[in-house]
Amino acid sequence: MSFVKKIIKPVEVLVVASKTGRVTIKYPFEEPWISPEFRGKIEIDPTKCIGCGACVNACPPNALEMIESEDKKTLRYFVGRCIFCWRCIDVCPVGAIKGTRNFELATNDPLDLYDYIVHNRVKCRECGKVTGETTRMLKYVLEKAFVTENYNNKCPDCRKKIFINAISMRRTGPVGEKT
Amino acid sequence: MEGEKLILDKYIELSRDMGGKASIEGDTVHIIVPSEKLVEAASKLFNEYQCDFRVCVGTDERPLNGYFTITHIFTDNRNGLYVLLKTYIEPQDPKVPSITNAVPGADWCEMEARDLLGIEFTGRTPYRLVLPPEWPKGLHPLRKDVPYNYRPQIRGVSEKVSTTTETGVIPIGPYHPALHEPEYFELYVEGEKVVDVKYRGFHVHRGIEKLGETRMTYQQVNFLAERICGICGFEHSSCYALAVEKAAKLDVPERAQFIRSIVLEVERIHSHLLWLGVAFHVLGYDTGFMHVWRIRERVMYLAELLTGSRKTYGINLIGGVRRDINEEKKQKTLEVLRELEKEYKGLIEVALSVPQVRKRASGTGVLPREDALKLSVEGPTARASGIDKDARRDLPYAAYKYASFRVPVYTEGDNLARLLVRVDELVESMAIIEQLLDKIPKGPILLEKYEIPEGRVGVQVVEAPRGGDVHFVITGHGKPYRWRVRAPTYSNIPALRVMLRDQPLADAPLTIASIDPCFSCTDRVLIVRENGRREWLRLTGGLKI
Repeated sequence: MSFVKKIIKPVEVLVVASKTGRVTIKYPFEEPWISPEFRGKIEIDPTKCIGCGACVNACPPNALEMIESEDKKTLRYFVGRCIFCWRCIDVCPVGAIKGTRNFELATNDPLDLYDYIVHNRVKCRECGKVTGETTRMLKYVLEKAFVTENYNNKCPDCRKKIFINAISMRRTGPVGEKT
Repeated sequence: MEGEKLILDKYIELSRDMGGKASIEGDTVHIIVPSEKLVEAASKLFNEYQCDFRVCVGTDERPLNGYFTITHIFTDNRNGLYVLLKTYIEPQDPKVPSITNAVPGADWCEMEARDLLGIEFTGRTPYRLVLPPEWPKGLHPLRKDVPYNYRPQIRGVSEKVSTTTETGVIPIGPYHPALHEPEYFELYVEGEKVVDVKYRGFHVHRGIEKLGETRMTYQQVNFLAERICGICGFEHSSCYALAVEKAAKLDVPERAQFIRSIVLEVERIHSHLLWLGVAFHVLGYDTGFMHVWRIRERVMYLAELLTGSRKTYGINLIGGVRRDINEEKKQKTLEVLRELEKEYKGLIEVALSVPQVRKRASGTGVLPREDALKLSVEGPTARASGIDKDARRDLPYAAYKYASFRVPVYTEGDNLARLLVRVDELVESMAIIEQLLDKIPKGPILLEKYEIPEGRVGVQVVEAPRGGDVHFVITGHGKPYRWRVRAPTYSNIPALRVMLRDQPLADAPLTIASIDPCFSCTDRVLIVRENGRREWLRLTGGLKI
């Protein structure tokens, strides 16, 4: 490289700059540069969700939480904690969670950051105690695995009781009755 | 094969001489020695066998076998072996001889084990490194009997680092507009010249290791590991996944390993471009900074296309990856790489011809080879000082054994050498991606069914843009029993003391930036503060260079 060329070399950046032109865009008036694979906020379809809690177990930052009360089970999604990993979408057994490309999540109302899906809990038909599962979960399980009609809608304690009773009836008569 | 046997015999013989025992699992040699022989064994490994010291790990194994343990992790780079030197420590009054006299690089990790597990090291000057000064004595957060959400009631006190009046003191940080992250340097100057440096880091207490060991499951830790670093997060999650897979002896699909390697290289490209931009900015060449970051944007888009996110890709799982690379993405990647390479080469040629870049970078911040070896520095910092080490080649993981690439090594040890190492590595990375995309095999990308047995040990080194990440995993029930992370900056910061000494003050920012420091990765340990006594800190005081 000759001496003059060496001196002039740094100025070549002007050529690069003029070739490139402007690279910034007038966001938000123009579309941001987002790839089709981008992972954004998730959306949970309340009509499909069965409240099984698989997503809650998989969620690394606890953005999805199951809040249990007396007769309700509430799935809460908090965008503020979400890391947009979409693990919940991988593990959802019914495909209720859908990923979107939405990342513009700023809001002036903190309540906008929460999504709630409320499920009813199953009541035991025998003793009236609420069991762990939701009504939809029960329906889902019944579709997959056939449980005798006699046993569904009952809490584990009652199921045990009925089962033992049934066996003892067959052999020695009802439990607890001494002859 | 014959040679390999001889090498393994060497280690078995060493353990026999020291009155311990050795076992070999895959590429890992486990050596257990009694604690009085620890220094001798470590010194032999480091000085005679030329093993590379990576980190030491203290573990509370009392629930398993009633002992504390300390494991010194060495790697035999020439033979691609991991050498773990382990010793058991009595749980009452845990004391173990320090190896810092033989292996100076062990200074920090020993003090970390002392802070977090309460293991005392004899034969050296102890000082508090990780925990804040007000933290109560006798409370060691990584012990298994301390719950992860335990927060002692403490009141922060201000901490005075220097007491000297002889020289001028220039504080940099802990919050400084040019530093991006909280760290504190104290430069002692005589006139224009820096005569000594003290570093106080560990301001970021995130409790990541404890969280991974207590609250999360195996798969969730991948996403936590990714958040150790904002720039090289994927290296951490890959390193963790590979360590667990090695411990559990999982046979991960080849295609997944290829995808990991490709994305790792994408990350290296964007990280080096980021660093080049920052370096040009520090050098006062802001035009270069703008243009380098402009072409970096293409790589960020590429990362998003391949993984779904610009950063924190979130595609690693134990047993494979979550996103496949289809034909369309492959073509797009090659296209982006072609454009990038053309633009990058033109731009870097121009940037390196700028007189102030060369003048300010050459001859400043020199790290001589001997010091670099002694301190076990990592990555481009080591390669610029003439140490030819790169975990991708020496300890092949993922799919790197299928790619051929050159490891750039410079011997000058100055800032320009560290800059040029990165400039060269970028070109190599682009070539690696092209090769791997060409060779990528068909098949599944995720292992569906597997089991992780308890009590196994896995160590993995992954070459991050800044140097080797080390993850050490002992498997447990449903989650790691012990998970130790070491980011490369952890071994590079002590070298800053050598680099900054006897240099003009004006070069200090560039020298600090030249190791590509990542302080939050270094400080991934625990906790807050407490009412307590104030202690004088001795920062890197135990280390005599």
